[in-house]
Amino acid sequence: MSELGTKGVSRRDFLKVATLAAGAVGLPAWAGEKMAEKAASSAKPPVIWLHFQECTGCSESLLRTSAPDVAELILGLISLDYHETLMVPSGYQAEKSLEESMERNAGKYVLVVEGAIPTKEDGIYCRVGGKTALETLKKVSAKAGAIVSIGSCASWGGIPSADPNPTGAVGVNKIVTDKPVVNIPGCPANPYNLLGTVLQFATFGTLPALDDLGRPKFAYARTIHEDCPRRPHFDAGRFAQKYGDDGHKAGYCLYKLGCKGPATHANCSLNHFVETPGAWPIGIGSPCYGCTEQKLGFRMPLHATVDVERPTAPGVYLPIRPDHSVVTPAAVGVAGLVVGGLVGAGYVASKKMASDSEKNEQGKE
Amino acid sequence: MRISRRSLLKGAVAAGAATAVVGRAEAREKKEVEAEAVGMLYDSTLCIGCRACMTKCKEANSLPYDRSADGLYDQPNDLNGNTKNVIKVLTAEGGQTAFMKQQCMHCVDPSCVSVCMMGALHKEGEGTRHHEGEKKGSGIVLYDKGTCVGCRYCQLACPYLVPKFEWTAAFPLIVKCELCRHRANPKKAGPLAVANPACCEACPREAVVYGKRSELLAEAKRRLAAEPQKYNGHVYGEQEGGGTQVLYLAAKGVEFKQLGLPELPEESQAYFSEHVSHMPYLNGITPIALYAAAAFVVRRNKKKEEAEHHEEGK
Amino acid sequence: MSGHDHPRAIRGNLFDPLMKICLGLFVLAVLVMAYRFYAGVGPVSAMSDGYAWGIWEPVNVVVFTGIGAGAYSTGLLCYLLNKGKYHPLVRPAVLLGAIAYSLAGSSIIIALGRYWNVYWLFLPGVWNLGSVLLEVAACVMTYVMVLWIEVLPSVLEGAADSKYPFWSKIGKKWGPALEKAMPFFIAAAMILPTMHQSSLGGLMLIAGPKLYPLWHTALLPTLALISCLSMGYGAVVLLTNILKYTWKAQADQRLFADLSKVNGGLLFLFVVVRLIDLAVHGKLQYLGVFDFHLFFFVLETALFLVPAFMFFSKKVQRNRGLTFGAALLSVLAGALWRVDAYLTAFNGGDGFEYFPSLGETTVTVGMAAIGVAVFLFVARLFPVVVVEDARDHSHVGAGRVQAAAGR
Repeated sequence: MSELGTKGVSRRDFLKVATLAAGAVGLPAWAGEKMAEKAASSAKPPVIWLHFQECTGCSESLLRTSAPDVAELILGLISLDYHETLMVPSGYQAEKSLEESMERNAGKYVLVVEGAIPTKEDGIYCRVGGKTALETLKKVSAKAGAIVSIGSCASWGGIPSADPNPTGAVGVNKIVTDKPVVNIPGCPANPYNLLGTVLQFATFGTLPALDDLGRPKFAYARTIHEDCPRRPHFDAGRFAQKYGDDGHKAGYCLYKLGCKGPATHANCSLNHFVETPGAWPIGIGSPCYGCTEQKLGFRMPLHATVDVERPTAPGVYLPIRPDHSVVTPAAVGVAGLVVGGLVGAGYVASKKMASDSEKNEQGKE
Repeated sequence: MRISRRSLLKGAVAAGAATAVVGRAEAREKKEVEAEAVGMLYDSTLCIGCRACMTKCKEANSLPYDRSADGLYDQPNDLNGNTKNVIKVLTAEGGQTAFMKQQCMHCVDPSCVSVCMMGALHKEGEGTRHHEGEKKGSGIVLYDKGTCVGCRYCQLACPYLVPKFEWTAAFPLIVKCELCRHRANPKKAGPLAVANPACCEACPREAVVYGKRSELLAEAKRRLAAEPQKYNGHVYGEQEGGGTQVLYLAAKGVEFKQLGLPELPEESQAYFSEHVSHMPYLNGITPIALYAAAAFVVRRNKKKEEAEHHEEGK
Repeated sequence: MSGHDHPRAIRGNLFDPLMKICLGLFVLAVLVMAYRFYAGVGPVSAMSDGYAWGIWEPVNVVVFTGIGAGAYSTGLLCYLLNKGKYHPLVRPAVLLGAIAYSLAGSSIIIALGRYWNVYWLFLPGVWNLGSVLLEVAACVMTYVMVLWIEVLPSVLEGAADSKYPFWSKIGKKWGPALEKAMPFFIAAAMILPTMHQSSLGGLMLIAGPKLYPLWHTALLPTLALISCLSMGYGAVVLLTNILKYTWKAQADQRLFADLSKVNGGLLFLFVVVRLIDLAVHGKLQYLGVFDFHLFFFVLETALFLVPAFMFFSKKVQRNRGLTFGAALLSVLAGALWRVDAYLTAFNGGDGFEYFPSLGETTVTVGMAAIGVAVFLFVARLFPVVVVEDARDHSHVGAGRVQAAAGR
């Protein structure tokens, strides 16, 4: 807090930032206060960030956040002890930072992993500082308080794991099997998904609810399709048939072009990228290719269509036998009267004739 | 009295003999699928319920959008006078959803064609009225509004509840899918020269495809054989009601009657109805023979009456 | 020509209260019909895609023509089987038939959606011979003409007796000419209804999957034919008795009793044929399903059997009122069977339900009313009804009156 004070950031401003940060990742407003408190108490959670088979895209996307921005994040909310792209030292000094942080914060630090881990030939396909990714990961994860895989590569292997996967690239959770690993897939992952997870851990010491693939439900429970802005076009059957055709220009649904949205769990359709509304694949007319999903991303052909995972809003669809009833009480009444009248009149006439007839017979006899 | 009864008997025997001599005429043959019959194959397991087919159908057939009772645009709640094609959903108890596309089945032996008095509903190129540009063989059931009297017998007869009527029009039509015959491209080879259904063109999953019925049936069977765990093991329309040219596949655990496709015997209702009603007629011999017999008897009776009358005096 | 057993024009006040009521009801119907032509069939009726015929076909066409089958059934007895004693019943029955069939025909025009195309019916070249409805339409059209030709003798007789020489010349000239040609029309009047009355039953053959099994059978045409004859006999008994009470028409109870025996036989035949057919096709199991279909089936069967038994009871045969009541039941039986086959046993589709709307009921009632009005009109002006002479006793001698009733 004092550091921020020297930077000219007031407590009030900081609170604002913290609240924004909390809001951006779906935590309630009061969480922002807690974050600020925690930050003020100088017990900033330490974070160690490892890079393996990756493109650093996830870090890059983290740089493009503003609530909090990276500076506020790493200076005010967390203690980023090791990050090969952002840290100042390099070489031996960098490694020393890593060792020291691990010792000092054993059992408490958050390990964020970016990039896949090659496993073939004892993992020689990725060596940082002479050590294989496999070794480093095992070592650093052993004493981590929480492990977060950022990006598809760390979550399930990502691009490096695409067929034929020559390096045997796998995600973190295939290496670290004894601890819960939070997967934040995406290529890149949405940085706010990471922020939310980390800040929650930082503030409350808990991890968000995860689905069966270890992904935070707050971001990965729903498919792109369920919240897609172009959904009305899908529902109405308006599709772009080719890139650049009238439908494409009109912003129609990209399903026919191979959009994997209906089978892809992510929140890109809600949180677009670089904080610019519309700056996300579908928004610019490119079909989603399912980068968060191991079965789809870098595996299924870009322009092949997928099954819709949960055909939603069945109430809007027609039932097999729609209801067509239209009977009014007045009609029933009148028709009843007519039939009843005829039958009644016939009965009365018959009786009268019968008694007349009998009288005649009696008269004759 | 005895004389007239004898005359009646004589007349009837003569009529009967005449009919026997003419021979047993088969009142009606069973209809077979034509070699060049075209149709569609709808695979419910591929359908995602996007309803592109519904939109495209409206566009291709220049159909107006449906409106709710208070005049607002709304989706149709069934096939109706504005809608030739609908997607319906079956929500089974286990949460399993299955989609169902409903439109004209283009039956091999359609009930609607059998009952239509003046042949307004007819299979392409067949029927009693000559229709310009139609060629026999595709088996598409077409509608000629020029001959239709709007009796709506077709609505009664169709077991799939397909033909719909414009109830609120002063000059109403019967409305049903005609396989987009008007979109046929004569320059193309194969079935597209005959028809080009918009729904098949629009479908992003190729859940409904167009082609020759024989090829579609083979394809359906191939799918059943290739993935028996995916399908319920039966191609609907192969035999039902005499067979239909639009075939259906459904997912395992989904029965066709749940999708609204009725269980029908192999014999078409058209065959049954025409056979039963025509058998006594023997191609028209019976009424003529009976008329002759009746006229004979009535005249005889009349002459007898007059003779009795004269005898009694007056 | 004979004296007291000959039909004569009733005369009297053409616009009596009954006529006025009938015309009033008809005017209401015309208003509905006018709106139908403007707004379409939908707004005036409860018809829908599932129940496309409403009551205008089953009632206005099928039931009315069943009632009008009195011309057919009495004609068969009188002209074919040469039972001349029934002759006094013929003219009113024929008029009833002509009117009933005309009502049926006009109702069809109202019910048709594209009525202007009905001219195709006159071009046999486009006839789809597979259609049962076509057979009905063509046959009914022809039969209506034949029926009105059968009414012509009354008209020509009335013309012949007219004060005006113009009409009496026409009547005297064309009357006898028509007499000579009559047998050919009478024969047609026997064949045509045989064809279309059975076809009216046959209309529902094609609706197999939608018709409840207790009604759907290959014998629908046969059952329709049997019941139409029965309805015809019943209608004639009803009609003539009503005429007796309004206009003192000759209404020989002995005649009715004999006629009703034929009717009774037909009623039994209907039930027997139906039950055997159900048994042969293994459908008796449906009699164990307690739903509203069974209710109607039982009601129908009761309506067929009760009058059948009644007709064969000596007590009923002696009693005009009981015969009348039984005849009414027999007409209701046939009517109910028709309404059931077309409506209650017909499942137009789940989600569809039907009950006649006010508009439909108005038109049906109005059509019946105008039918009554036309009957009154013709009977008053032309010799249709045989009126009881004041000298005659109302009792019936065995055979004497009948024997003399040659013309």
